[in-house]
Amino acid sequence: MKRKRISRKIFTKDRIIIQFIFLISVLLVGYFVYIGIGWNVVVSLSDWEGLVPSYNIVGFDQYIKLLGDPIFFTSLMNNILLMLIFVPCTLFLGLFLAILLDQKVRKESVFRTIYLLPFTLSFVVTGFLWRWMYNPSMGVINTLLETIGLELLKSGWITDPNMAMFCVIISLIWQFAGYAMLIFLAGIRSIPESHIMAAEVDGASGFQLYKRVIIPQIKASTFTAFVILMVFALKAFDFIYILTGGGPAGWATEILPLTMYKETFAMTHFAYGSTIATVLFLLVMAIVIPYLYSTYRRK
Amino acid sequence: MTSVKIKNLTKRYGKTIAVENVNLEIKDGELFILLGPSGCGKTTTLLCIAGLINPDEGEVWFGDDMITCAEHNKFERPQERNVAMVFQDYAIYPHMTVFKNIAFPLEVRKKHKHEIETRVKEVAERLGISELLERKPKQLSGGQRQRVALARAIVREPKVFLMDEPLSNLDAKLRVYARAELKRLHKRLGVTIVYVTHDQLEAMSIGDRIAILNNGFLEQIDTPENIYNSPKNIFVAGFIGSPPMNMLDGTLIEKDGKLFVDLGFSTYELSNRFDKLKKIKSTEVILGIRPEDISISKENIKNSIKAKVDIIELMGRELSIHHRVNENTIIAITKPTEDLEIGDELYLVFVNEKIHVFDKNTEENLITKNS
Amino acid sequence: MRFLRFKRVILYILLIFFVIVTLLPLWAGIMTAFKTEADLIYTTPLEPPSSPTTEPLEKTFIIMQRPLQNSLIFTSVATILSCFLGSIAGYTLTKIKFKGSNTVFLGLIIGIFIPYQAVLVPLVMTMVSWGLYNTVWGLILTHTVYGIPICTLLFRSFYVGIPDSLINAAKTDGAGTWIIYRRIILPLSLMPFVVASVFQFTNIWNDFLFGLVLSRGTEAMPASVALANLKGGFVAMWNLQMAGTLWYTLPALIVYLILGKYLIKGFMTGAVKG
Repeated sequence: MKRKRISRKIFTKDRIIIQFIFLISVLLVGYFVYIGIGWNVVVSLSDWEGLVPSYNIVGFDQYIKLLGDPIFFTSLMNNILLMLIFVPCTLFLGLFLAILLDQKVRKESVFRTIYLLPFTLSFVVTGFLWRWMYNPSMGVINTLLETIGLELLKSGWITDPNMAMFCVIISLIWQFAGYAMLIFLAGIRSIPESHIMAAEVDGASGFQLYKRVIIPQIKASTFTAFVILMVFALKAFDFIYILTGGGPAGWATEILPLTMYKETFAMTHFAYGSTIATVLFLLVMAIVIPYLYSTYRRK
Repeated sequence: MTSVKIKNLTKRYGKTIAVENVNLEIKDGELFILLGPSGCGKTTTLLCIAGLINPDEGEVWFGDDMITCAEHNKFERPQERNVAMVFQDYAIYPHMTVFKNIAFPLEVRKKHKHEIETRVKEVAERLGISELLERKPKQLSGGQRQRVALARAIVREPKVFLMDEPLSNLDAKLRVYARAELKRLHKRLGVTIVYVTHDQLEAMSIGDRIAILNNGFLEQIDTPENIYNSPKNIFVAGFIGSPPMNMLDGTLIEKDGKLFVDLGFSTYELSNRFDKLKKIKSTEVILGIRPEDISISKENIKNSIKAKVDIIELMGRELSIHHRVNENTIIAITKPTEDLEIGDELYLVFVNEKIHVFDKNTEENLITKNS
Repeated sequence: MRFLRFKRVILYILLIFFVIVTLLPLWAGIMTAFKTEADLIYTTPLEPPSSPTTEPLEKTFIIMQRPLQNSLIFTSVATILSCFLGSIAGYTLTKIKFKGSNTVFLGLIIGIFIPYQAVLVPLVMTMVSWGLYNTVWGLILTHTVYGIPICTLLFRSFYVGIPDSLINAAKTDGAGTWIIYRRIILPLSLMPFVVASVFQFTNIWNDFLFGLVLSRGTEAMPASVALANLKGGFVAMWNLQMAGTLWYTLPALIVYLILGKYLIKGFMTGAVKG
């Protein structure tokens, strides 16, 4: 009885156009996201190698292979390094820029537009620009150091296996700081003016005002920015593909999405690539699901 | 135009009951008020009539047409019902001009362009908004928006008008004016209006009949006069009237063939109008008396209650006086001529015919119940 | 007023320092794109070219022309399609509530966050079997599908702000669901359409991964992939590499500089990149 009523409520004549179009969206996302993920898991349980998609289900062989693969662990470590260094540094720099811009700065929108600019560029573009920056022989940084007489600091940058990962991190901070700034600035601006006035009347000013009144009130923005950066730290692909291709020294800047791409599309180890993708998916979901739960629970 | 009948209407949201077993019969051409505090189910009832929500149980009839029957899973859609609705926020389409707003229901019904133009202009003329037709809603005042919403409803010539607190967003002065105008419009058009409000004064002044709802239950349906003079229970008695009816706890006792209410601090003798209550003597009761039905005396008259003036409020033409009687406060309304000061001791006399006696347990009015 | 002790001068010095750091790579890139090969050797990257030339731009345009066309086509079409589908989905999820609509919404927006690697193999297999591999249509479909989640989120968050009474009024006025969408919702949606399309255009234009795995040869190759290929084609010819970069980034840069405030609105609505 009840079920019948609901179905009638949804599918009546003039709703059909809207329902039909909505259904297309649901089916497309259902197929390309959910079926896709499931299918990928199936491939990860198989023995598929080579271009022809014919394979047998062999169980967890690929996952066992993964546990014995040093490249996998190198990649995973680099992803973790991104999470541990890139994420907090970006958040901190973003917050710093947001506080700077919150000082009733003249031409604030010009500064904001410039700071956000790197974030709107394609990773392929920023990858190219930073390859030129880091180029050891003629590149921007080394020649700049030469010009100002700091030749001592010249370095191999992305060609130096010990430095490459940090070069990657610095460029990514450069690209994402503006975004973090935007999120924090919006958070600061959403605090009611009366709160700040009340704190000022109570004698708080400058640093104290931020520490005690403003920063505690932008937890939600911080959380959003944190989650998005963490997810990116796992998903990053394009930028490193262009900048270093995972090298130097083989795997100095290798990360999981890159390993997955190489295994799958360069070496045609489809089953193994899918296994890495599955692990990557689970890692991302471990961050995203709690975030979505806490954000949309109330609605 | 049509009559509206609601049978056994019930609507639940999860475990909360919005409306429980409500029965109403609204006559053709009547201005019928659904009155009650917020959350009483009045808007839910209205939306069920509109078809904007579907009840869990019950039926809605327009004249002889059954348009909702939960049991047979029949829910005619709002656009098929030929009802017009005026919303609390007016719901004026912000991107359309006033003309387009009023024309919208006709356009959707694929009326001829020429007819639309004549009718929109006619209705605009009638409501005095002809010069606003080319304006956008943003450029209108609250009162003007309210008229546009009204015009959009009228232009349809629907069977039933549904109004959800249409005046509550107007300022106090404009509201009184709009109230009278609405009443006049109803007289002239002779249409059936179902009108939701939480404002008892508004309900009393414009309604032909009022249904009072509380917590999803129907408390009383009657004309404003009858509701005021013979409230069916304590809730209705307390909800209607401002300042509210004075309520005093007491016990019914019979002595020497006469009926008294023992108020604890004093005993009040009831006239023989209440003789029928003799058979239920000794029950706990509540004695109710409206502030304007109390007169003040400086001398001790027989069957009066001794009181002390606590607060005096000047309310324009009259005084509202709060008296302390033991632990209770009794409010009386008098002419401002009385020469009173705070702390004065005086005697309150209740107008005998205006006394209400309620059963404390069932909260029902014992007089109307047994008549 | 807030940072009283904070010297305004130091504030502006800091702000300008960060402007320089932000613009440095771009400056170097643009300068280099206008340099001759001789300039490349005799001037430092930050110096303007001594004899500016458009030769690198002309040379790379020949290579980038077709990919830029491809990108422009699939980006525009997929932007329009994903915005339209997102708008309908947002409308359905906010104004035609049905049992489980919240679950469907969450199910849709998880698509914003998933790492695309997790669907890459099935995606390529599907495109091959549907005959869409290495076609602009395949890229249109892919970008539309993966754009639906974010567009749904953007439109939904706008539509929850449209009062339900407006929809109810239209219903009692006699309008059905489609007419309400066309006559009420759509005319009120100019803002979210601008925000979502600027956002989607930038996102799709900037994409690399899908283009990389779904195209081969020039027929469908996006500009991002063509640019990446320059890396191997013009080793050490930085003027050509930067000129190609300039070509590829120009459309997105123009969109940002003109419609940036809408893009910012998009980022603010919980949007993601990557």
